[in-house]
Amino acid sequence: MRAYLLKRLLLMIPTLVGITLVTYGIVRLAPGDPIEAMIRSQTGDINPKVMKENSDRIRQRLGLIEYHYLRDAVDRAWGAEEVQGRGTRVLRGAAVAVDKFYGIFLGYGRWIGHLARGDFGESIKYRTSSGSRNPLHLIVERIPVTATLNVISEIFIFFIAIPVGLAAAQYKGKWVDWGSSFVLLGLWSIPVILAGTVLLGFLGKGGMGWSLFPVAGLHAPDYEKYGFGRYFADLLWHSALPVVCLTYGGLAYLAKLGRASLLENLRADYVRTARAKGLPERRVVYHHALRNSLLPMITTMVLTLPGLIGGSIVVETIFSLPGMGLLYIGAARAYDLSVLMAETLIYGFLVLLFLIIGDILYAWADPRIRYE
Amino acid sequence: MSKVAPQVGDVLAGPPRSYASIVWGQLRKRPTAMISLGGVVMLALLAIMAPFIAGEVPILWVEHGQASWPIFHYLTDAEYSAMLAFVLAVTLPLTLRFVRPRAEAMGASPWFRSVALHAAVWFVATVAIFALRQPEGRYGFFLERRQEAESAWFPLIAWSHNPGYDELAFRDQVPSWQHPLGTARLGDDVLLRILYGARTAMTIGFVAAGIGSTIGVILGALSGYFGKWVDLVLMRIAEIFMFIPTLVLIIIILAVIPSWVPALWAVVGVIGVTGWTGAYRLMRAELFRIRSEDYMTAARALGVPTRRLLVRHAIPNGLAPILVGAGFGIAGAIGIELTLAFLGLVQTPSWGEMLNDGRQHLEYWWVWASAGAIIFVTMFAYNLLAEAIRDSIDPRLKI
Repeated sequence: MRAYLLKRLLLMIPTLVGITLVTYGIVRLAPGDPIEAMIRSQTGDINPKVMKENSDRIRQRLGLIEYHYLRDAVDRAWGAEEVQGRGTRVLRGAAVAVDKFYGIFLGYGRWIGHLARGDFGESIKYRTSSGSRNPLHLIVERIPVTATLNVISEIFIFFIAIPVGLAAAQYKGKWVDWGSSFVLLGLWSIPVILAGTVLLGFLGKGGMGWSLFPVAGLHAPDYEKYGFGRYFADLLWHSALPVVCLTYGGLAYLAKLGRASLLENLRADYVRTARAKGLPERRVVYHHALRNSLLPMITTMVLTLPGLIGGSIVVETIFSLPGMGLLYIGAARAYDLSVLMAETLIYGFLVLLFLIIGDILYAWADPRIRYE
Repeated sequence: MSKVAPQVGDVLAGPPRSYASIVWGQLRKRPTAMISLGGVVMLALLAIMAPFIAGEVPILWVEHGQASWPIFHYLTDAEYSAMLAFVLAVTLPLTLRFVRPRAEAMGASPWFRSVALHAAVWFVATVAIFALRQPEGRYGFFLERRQEAESAWFPLIAWSHNPGYDELAFRDQVPSWQHPLGTARLGDDVLLRILYGARTAMTIGFVAAGIGSTIGVILGALSGYFGKWVDLVLMRIAEIFMFIPTLVLIIIILAVIPSWVPALWAVVGVIGVTGWTGAYRLMRAELFRIRSEDYMTAARALGVPTRRLLVRHAIPNGLAPILVGAGFGIAGAIGIELTLAFLGLVQTPSWGEMLNDGRQHLEYWWVWASAGAIIFVTMFAYNLLAEAIRDSIDPRLKI
């Protein structure tokens, strides 16, 4: 088992390298200059010379230097671009492309090098008066928001999905089964953007319905003064709508899975044996069948957890919650490379970790499965 | 001559039926399947016929005693091609009826033949349309000139986005006969936006999900059949796509696409290219199972070349779960497009954009209510259909 774990952990490395390299490459290939755009957004139009100095300094700091070795070599050999013939121009284009890729790989290598020293670079979007923020700090201070939402949602998903799946399986073919499967498919068909809009519209403050729930943030402004009970109540009140948005989709999925797996177990031989022995139906269902069908449900939940974190991108955007998802999408939109890379790394790591945990749980719950 | 008594087996078996016809027979017994299929067909029809229902180009225009049919000149090549595709899809059962006796006599699959025939017709006609037709490109000012015509037959909702037409005069109107679903913030008709949003949704649903499934099937088949390092490499590539959140991946890829690519194509391409991992994983698992089946060993022993082995034996036998996955995948792809438009990341006419507009002005409820209703109905129809197909293919299949 230990060898298996070690192997799985080591296999994470190539995947993480692949994920970060692809992200880095795509962002570097995008046209436009995010750094100059960022400087302009903060200082307005400035003297080109100052702009160049500043952007060069930041580029140097972020390892974003462009390389022009081959292009310059072509220019030196065949004269400036204007006087080159068609063949040389094609060669020059190829040289520019090779330079670009060389720059990307060197920049990526530099990023890895900094990372090895615990340096995540600096954000170009998030800045304070004392300088740029460290991406790691940005992420760490946003983890609690995303984690809170997802943990609450997972608890709801699990404890609603089990009774629903159980009822549907027990009354297979009856109206409970039909109705629940219809409702679940309906829930599954509602995109989060629609649910969020409708919930905010009817239940959010300032909407057109009952102003029951706050529309942004996870805490009241003065939450630091609250005692534990009030703090917790405030948190639940603020997270009610986002949690609903994060819950219903996964709930539909898991309840359907629970129904299918319970049905399979109710058909199994050991259930027939248990019934033949004269065990009461309650005991057959709850003690024998349900226990066995919880297994795939738990593993599926662990496996869908990363998807839930991905889903919180949309939820956090709609409800303006300062979590990992909002940071991630903000970084992607602003080409905030350091933050994007740090998020990709940490997110990828979490996903892979959950996959491994899911496999371990599976083996732990089912002694027939062994990993060597 | 003595009569041969019918055998029990003959009566039970009946004429041999193809897999597709068995699934179709199962599907027809399910009312939910038929209703959702009807809904999807209706929606496709509305999307394709949108210029006839809402728009600025008249169907009939009589000026100086001369009648003309402007809309047929203004329809784009792609619109003609889509219309043809729709007609061919709807008439497929008819062709099937003609093809069946001959095909069955030859032992071939009537479904495959009919689909191939229709696809060929569509392809040739589309190439011809794009090569030969020259659609009217300039703006006709029909709405502004409607007084000059002796008689004009406009679409149900005569509406224009073009300059010179004072849209703002119509802003935020409640639903009325003139505007069945009301008008939005900028004076645009809500029904018109729903119809043109349906075009985006349908294109995304069919083309993007189609691209995704095709890539997934091909790579999954290669990965599952060859195993070893092919599988190792392809699986790592799939992991890259699985472990970066789709929205983030799409945002950064969209930035790389040059600006001359039309927005719709860019979105379709990106959603297709990022959405292949589901089909890939299903196909890979199927191929792992199939490659050690007896019929594959038999085919290999007969010396069937690898390419033919994959294309004629392995892939068709593994397609069933893909079909179901694609059904759910269509709804998923539409959902991604709606989210992108909702967040303002792409500029295509979309229901997601309408929902976002409606969110900012909740008091004009007809905007977000219409968008929300059509989104829900569409997604529900696709999911219902996919579930019915799954149950018809194999009730035990769990996806």
